Amino acid sequence: MDDSPRGPISTLGRAVLNFINYFGQLGILLGEGFESLVKSKPRLRLMMEQIVRIGFGSQVVVIVTGAFTGAVFTAQSYFKFRDFGIESTVGSIVSVSLFRELGPVLTGLMVAGRVGAAMAAEIGTMKVSEQIDALRAMGVHPVDYLAMPRFFAMTISMPLLIAEAVAFGLAASWFVAVLGFGIPSAWFWMHTIDHTNLEDLSYAMIKGLVFGILIVVISCHQGLSTTNGAVGVGQSTTRAVVFSSLALLVTNFFLTLLLNYIFPMGTIT
Amino acid sequence: MPAPPSAEPAASPFIQIRGLHKSFDSQKVLQGIDLDISRGETLVLVGPSGEGKSVLLKHIIGLLHPDAGSIQFDGTSLCGLSERQLAPLRRRIGYLFQNAALFDSLTVAQNVAFPLIEAGIKNPAEIKSRVQEALEVVELDAHKEKMPINLSGGMRKRVGIARAIVGRPEIILYDEPTAGLDPIVTDVIDHLIKRLQKRYHVTSVVITHDIASVFKIADRIVMLKNGIVYFNGSPDQLRHSPDTFIQDFIAGRSGMTS
Repeated sequence: MDDSPRGPISTLGRAVLNFINYFGQLGILLGEGFESLVKSKPRLRLMMEQIVRIGFGSQVVVIVTGAFTGAVFTAQSYFKFRDFGIESTVGSIVSVSLFRELGPVLTGLMVAGRVGAAMAAEIGTMKVSEQIDALRAMGVHPVDYLAMPRFFAMTISMPLLIAEAVAFGLAASWFVAVLGFGIPSAWFWMHTIDHTNLEDLSYAMIKGLVFGILIVVISCHQGLSTTNGAVGVGQSTTRAVVFSSLALLVTNFFLTLLLNYIFPMGTIT
Repeated sequence: MPAPPSAEPAASPFIQIRGLHKSFDSQKVLQGIDLDISRGETLVLVGPSGEGKSVLLKHIIGLLHPDAGSIQFDGTSLCGLSERQLAPLRRRIGYLFQNAALFDSLTVAQNVAFPLIEAGIKNPAEIKSRVQEALEVVELDAHKEKMPINLSGGMRKRVGIARAIVGRPEIILYDEPTAGLDPIVTDVIDHLIKRLQKRYHVTSVVITHDIASVFKIADRIVMLKNGIVYFNGSPDQLRHSPDTFIQDFIAGRSGMTS
């Protein structure tokens, strides 16, 4: 074995190769997913179970995240807007921010932490305890049985969870603005509704769909490629959360640019 | 030591393995395995731990792919087949994993029913009766609602056997079916393997370290050593082999003194 220290170029080259290799593996998993769509039977019971786990089970954390984000953002905006005498418009900035960025991103991060970790840990444990080999030995493709129900459940649940986070964020914003700072309710809603449109909702739903796919593909890949027993399960779980979160944040930036091209901001409808 | 003359029949083998090589990183596990398995026979794989017996079994069902060599299952080459192409072949095979590999999230009955449901059997009454039958064979019908986590190691293994046989496969691959079981249950499992062979003409490939079981169930014994077939013959040929390694292995002599 070559024990000589690696130079910076060699280390960089290896990192680039690993990066390309990782994306190749994700691409293969996605390809197997598409093949599964065509060739495997629908597993509705498993999908419903996953919707309960992913969607229903994530509600509390998503509601709390949305509500307190809306509340604190309203308070901060109010303190600044008050200087300019436009504090009654606070609902509009909170609404647009929740729909376009805070709702999708924070919900995505919370779901990555809660659901992505659980997916990687569960599938990883099945991998190291030969349960996935047992599936294969019985002629069941692991992607059909494990990844696809989670994929469908996530693509259904994520947009709904984001909608829920935004709704509770707006409700909290109203409480803080109207009950806390005395902004007239009618003014609050007028500005909020005036500056929120269907494009903002589209932003949230499209981002939710994309983030859901990112989380499920990355987490299932980590689970399915787990080796090295309990230590490996821990590593896969950590990587699933970290990679999902980073991918989500980076994708969010480029997705925002793309969506702003499709739905340009700055026009009042 | 060269392998003694093969006891394999001349008829077209059910499973044919030629020149099988497999390495994991730098560790060469299989280094040219040639083996034929006939329909209906019970072949027992023996040999020191870490010599690739489980690896060979996993190649037969396509869970591992060879670095070189070929495996034919009932005339179909497994090499180069995708997971989806392997699926129909795998449904003809029952596989008992070393640690049973039961699904943690399913009850005993659901674990045993799994291959039936996946094979497309939709009639709940048929599934129920076949699960009951399989669990009765391994004497675990009273535990069908338990979760695998609540079973002893031996019970888990017996559930694994029930799951392997419930689909009435043509061949069953047993990876240490009696390890960790008490002598009475071991005898039950040994008789079960023979009964399945006699009643359903099931082909069995059994990995075991239990020498008493070997002589009880084997039609033919294959010993792996250093990644090749070291011995291939009948139980009598093994028993009377002049090879000192084989005799030490049978007698469980390590050569160490206390």
